[in-house]
Amino acid sequence: MWTFLRRRGGAAHDNGRAAAEVYGRHGERSTSLTADAALPIRLDSVVKRYGRRTVLDQVTCDVHPGITGLVGPNGAGKSTLVRAILGLVRLAAGKVEVFGIDPAVRPRLVRQAVGVVPEDECTVPGLAAVEMVRYAARLSGLPGTEALRRAHEVLDWCDAGQERYRPVETLSVGMRQKVAFAAAIVHDPRMVILDEPTNGLDPIERRAMLGRLTTLAREHGKTILVSTHVLPDVQTICDRVIVLAAGRVRLEGSLDELTRPVVPQLRLEATGPLDACAQLLRDRGIAATRADATTLLVSAEQGRGLDEVWTAVRASGVTLRALEPARRRFEDVFLQAIARSEEGEHATS
Amino acid sequence: MPLHDLGYRPWSGQRAGPGAASGVIAATGIRLAWTSRWLRRAVLFAWSPALLFAGSFFAFEQSIEEGRFTSLKERARLGRNLDGVGVLGTVLADTLGRTANERHVSEAQDIALTRRLVWSRLLLAFMRAPQAVLLAVVVGLVAPSLISRDLRARAWLVYFTRPVGRFEYILGKITILTTIVAAITVAPALALWLAGVLVSPSISVAAQTCDLPLKIVAASAALAIPTVLLALAYSSLTTESRIASFAWFATWAACWIAHASLTTADLVAAAEAPAIAWETTDDEYRPPPRRGNWVARAAGLDDTLDRWAWLSPYHAVGVVQAWIFGVETRPRAVLPPAISLAAISILSAVVLARRVAVPTRA
Repeated sequence: MWTFLRRRGGAAHDNGRAAAEVYGRHGERSTSLTADAALPIRLDSVVKRYGRRTVLDQVTCDVHPGITGLVGPNGAGKSTLVRAILGLVRLAAGKVEVFGIDPAVRPRLVRQAVGVVPEDECTVPGLAAVEMVRYAARLSGLPGTEALRRAHEVLDWCDAGQERYRPVETLSVGMRQKVAFAAAIVHDPRMVILDEPTNGLDPIERRAMLGRLTTLAREHGKTILVSTHVLPDVQTICDRVIVLAAGRVRLEGSLDELTRPVVPQLRLEATGPLDACAQLLRDRGIAATRADATTLLVSAEQGRGLDEVWTAVRASGVTLRALEPARRRFEDVFLQAIARSEEGEHATS
Repeated sequence: MPLHDLGYRPWSGQRAGPGAASGVIAATGIRLAWTSRWLRRAVLFAWSPALLFAGSFFAFEQSIEEGRFTSLKERARLGRNLDGVGVLGTVLADTLGRTANERHVSEAQDIALTRRLVWSRLLLAFMRAPQAVLLAVVVGLVAPSLISRDLRARAWLVYFTRPVGRFEYILGKITILTTIVAAITVAPALALWLAGVLVSPSISVAAQTCDLPLKIVAASAALAIPTVLLALAYSSLTTESRIASFAWFATWAACWIAHASLTTADLVAAAEAPAIAWETTDDEYRPPPRRGNWVARAAGLDDTLDRWAWLSPYHAVGVVQAWIFGVETRPRAVLPPAISLAAISILSAVVLARRVAVPTRA
């Protein structure tokens, strides 16, 4: 069951082929065995050092089509990892492949296929928003007229059209973030890498931004790699997650698998005498624990059916509001992984 | 959703090949630089000396047209002063004096020979005296912010997360400056040459002086390459453009002062102990006389060896330009400044290449 959840301790792992989830042009989701080269990103035992400090330590992971979250505490090596993917840094060891191409050997080809939204604002002072996006398109090789047409189009799509003629440096943080996003996708890249894409966005804009990312992945088949600290965002849009801490991959897998509890459980939300309901379930040999005032976590081990749960609910007189497979919050999974990694570091030292 | 919002649409056109990015960077950079009112004024002002020099071209050609060439030459041979016609007078007196003894040529050949010398000297004076100084000012206005501003605004991410290599980036920035330099050196100098052809008695003068446009371009390149690279290297060393600006102007000023001090020291030493300081048989090491006419000196009338020229970019560029125009032919005079400029260029290019790569690796 937990074969997808692979905890990494730094050793190179078997790069055996996994079933990759592929999104069709119309959003249908299918599973097929992809060739090695078709994987958007493959990192194999990547080591990067700055002086004596090892920033990436034997990082081995794959980024599959769809939306992948890259999460980790500050200084985990996320930005360096993104730079390694773009071929901006020289690696001490290991290999990176982006769509089967080594970015250290052919960085131009890789960067044509990738759009990047950096965390910090990066603008060319003096340019208006539409000029900035057009400039980005021209640098990516689009002809002049096409670049301008695309710039207007993506700014409209990003809901930044109303500010298009204002100089970038005078825009609000949120608007600048939208312009940076527009500049990253204007050349229609196969993959978009975003560093804290929802920084500076209000809740409505944040939701809209996550919606755009989902649209790009589901409807246009783009691969999205989101580096973020905002774990609810990860849980909202990501299909897969890579947790990086102290330069190592601590956790990698699909979000479904990672947030599934160790023991299968049902989450029962109800009002009324919940304690009585729990006692009835226990009497029937089903473990039930109170999660909060209105929620019970009911064991779903050994294939016990819902019938017994329904019976207990009816007998106890509670009013059922929800019954669904229990999920762990991704935040808990993340914190657990970080805590484990810190324990491991202490033990090693 | 607005009516004009077409949603996200894929794009599958033909992309430009490698190298196109330099052009894009240059075009955008020039457009941004041109928004500066100070730069527009400086470039406009940089064309004004060309008007004065155009007057000299006109006066020279007019003297030939009016048949005063022989009398002018005779006056120059007798050592008469021709300063009445301004810069041209000084240049003409010197040039005619030099060719006065060449009796074996016809008058037409003599005029052609003199024209070539006079035009070369006038163009050299134009490029050395007003334009080189104006270039320092214009480059000082534009160059300091070209890379430092990208570093401060983290705009390097705009470039290096896209298919743009650091050499394309540097080439783009060099093109911005070179275009501006060309606008204040090559363009007015070519305009001067064209004006000279137009005011000359015959259109065949264009064929007689057809090498001058090439020399203008070469002289501008000698001026542009080290100065542009040096200015960009300064810009890449800091995120504060004002520091780069200060370093740029300080370099020109300090080197000029150093050159002037050492030349003056030579003069003093020569005056006090000529027998010790200067070998009597080697007149190449005679210090330059103190002549007041800066423009005339720039025209190469001063044929004493400037042995400290390599110290100052302004003077070094001047010597190399004089060599390009055929005014200075002594290897001992040309080599040290040429080596100095080559060293500045190479060092600046190395600094530039290394510094531009630093932010991506930090």
